[in-house]
Amino acid sequence: MLSRILVPMDDSEHASHALEYALENHPEADVTVLHVVGVPSMMMGEAVGLTLEDDISEAAAERAEPVFKRAREVADEHGRELNTIVGIGHPARNILDRAEDYDTIVLGAHGADWSRATRRFLVGNVAETVSKRSPVPVIIVH
Amino acid sequence: MVGSLLAIGIIASIFVGFNIGGSSTGIAWGPPVGAGIVKKTTAAALMTFFVFLGGWTVGRNVMDTLSEGIITTDLTLTAGVAVLFFIGLGILIANIFGVPVPTSMTTVGAIAGLGLATGTLNYATIAEIVSWWIVTPIIGFWIGGVIGRYIYPEVNRRVQIEKSAGPLLALDRDGTIPKPTFGPNTTWAELGTTVVVLVIGCYMAFSAGASNVPNAAAPLVGGVGGLPDDTAIIIATLAIGFGGFTIARRTMESVGGELSDIPLLAALFVMVTASTITTLLSWIGIPISLVMATVMTIVGIGWGRATRPITFREAVTRDTGEPEIVPGAITAEEMEGKPAAPIGEEEPEEVLKAGDLFNPRAIMKYISMWIIGPSVSTVLAYGFFILIPGVA
Amino acid sequence: MRLLVPMDDSEHANLALEYALDNYPEADITVLHVVGAPSMMMGEAVGLVFENDISDAAAKRAEPVFERANKIASERDQDINTTVGIGYPIRNILDRVEKYDTIVLGAHGEDWSRVTRRFLVGNVAETVSRRASIPVILVR
Repeated sequence: MLSRILVPMDDSEHASHALEYALENHPEADVTVLHVVGVPSMMMGEAVGLTLEDDISEAAAERAEPVFKRAREVADEHGRELNTIVGIGHPARNILDRAEDYDTIVLGAHGADWSRATRRFLVGNVAETVSKRSPVPVIIVH
Repeated sequence: MVGSLLAIGIIASIFVGFNIGGSSTGIAWGPPVGAGIVKKTTAAALMTFFVFLGGWTVGRNVMDTLSEGIITTDLTLTAGVAVLFFIGLGILIANIFGVPVPTSMTTVGAIAGLGLATGTLNYATIAEIVSWWIVTPIIGFWIGGVIGRYIYPEVNRRVQIEKSAGPLLALDRDGTIPKPTFGPNTTWAELGTTVVVLVIGCYMAFSAGASNVPNAAAPLVGGVGGLPDDTAIIIATLAIGFGGFTIARRTMESVGGELSDIPLLAALFVMVTASTITTLLSWIGIPISLVMATVMTIVGIGWGRATRPITFREAVTRDTGEPEIVPGAITAEEMEGKPAAPIGEEEPEEVLKAGDLFNPRAIMKYISMWIIGPSVSTVLAYGFFILIPGVA
Repeated sequence: MRLLVPMDDSEHANLALEYALDNYPEADITVLHVVGAPSMMMGEAVGLVFENDISDAAAKRAEPVFERANKIASERDQDINTTVGIGYPIRNILDRVEKYDTIVLGAHGEDWSRVTRRFLVGNVAETVSRRASIPVILVR
């Protein structure tokens, strides 16, 4: 049985689907939500903003809070507990670095989203990259 | 200088011939070897002889096209050796990545690249060659389709391919002079089958020689210090034969193994069609890939079979348990769509449609494979001869 | 829960089935094997169309894979269903998504020696995980 599941979440609807899937299908598992902040962007606003903060960990946690709040709401509906972790920088790399500590990764799949080509170029297709390189099984939720 | 250049050229030519021998022996002899009609060694020996025959006769027409048809001047020895390296590179890529690179087309591509770089390209000839390349796969597919749809079912009803246990022929030593007799289980039909299969294999070997010997031989001919035609043909044949006796054992298992999935009778139809296309085009001096002609005929025959109309007679003799009476012709898909389940047995959840095996997009993929090879070699050769103008 | 486990003859396919059995012991697991996939000489596909009964012939060709699958399942005292498809693996899998809740697939590593196969058949795991409307589990 799966005991440790990593659910990387961004602020998209797909991410919530992924979490719901993990909670519903793995009622016994220990679910950890990861949110990565300071992701590369056109003007690098968030990333630079973070480095200018006094306490980078605290600032990152603060920025991740809305996502975790939403995640906890989903978990409450299922009567479940969650662990949360904040990462900084490149999402795919961040996820892959942690993969070894989990049995499975559950990810929301983005549809092809051409209006965000810049983002796709800078960040890459996270679901695709992770599923291609992850050492542990990856569940892609649509 | 010319001597060592020639030596390098001969080595490159042997490398090319050796690999051609490996791949084309697999195609020409895979089915008979797979069916246990011919031994691998016999196949290689017959291959070598008929490749030589094909190269010596019809192959000369292709050699002329390659050495003096595509470009307006004669192919010099230096340029020829460079071209051989591009052919070799294509083969190397094919071997490493397992991609089928059509050698004849790579050769034309490399020479055309040379012509473009030096401004000596004969556009009329290249246009003629390319238009044949476009038409040939269509012809192969179409002939294959007609065979699969109409001819094969007819022939298959009348012909049985047999292979009995034990040797085909034995030596009768009872008399003073040993004379050959039939093996323990041999019948006239089996002897006939074997002879037909051998003849068709030799025919395909002949067409392989006609289309492929020039690839290894033509670049060595012509120019100052080049070899005479005959010598180049003999070197190429020996290299192809060497490949046939050595690495072809492996290709006969890979390519031949795949071909032996096809009923031998169908494979023979494919071989005759592909060899005829290849020989005829070589006759008029058009370099053509035997592998391409073969694959397109196979795809055509499979498509034709998958979409064939089933006649009343065939439909009732089909082993479907409960023969349905079908007026007129319906398509195989419909027929296979209703495998009349016996009463009491659960209806299968879904039925398999033969048409699913051949869809137009996949056929386009096969065709695009034959476009990529020569295009890449043209571009590479063009770049090479532009950067190093002295070679040409 | 209904799981679809498409299997080819690779080691990865076994891992996918093991994963499905171990992690979803209650699920209804169906193993799909697709025969007659495009190949260089189209041998298997053409061989199939020349058979009298294509369904029967396809089932026969799929037998070794199902045998292996049944062995894996019986080691765990579980039952599986089997189903045969013909033609293009990707399309075949995608055509079935409506009947299942999740697909479990073995992910192949990059295999450069099989460029032809990749070109003709496509990358099954990647394409299915991108296009399927239901969750896809990629096992490695």
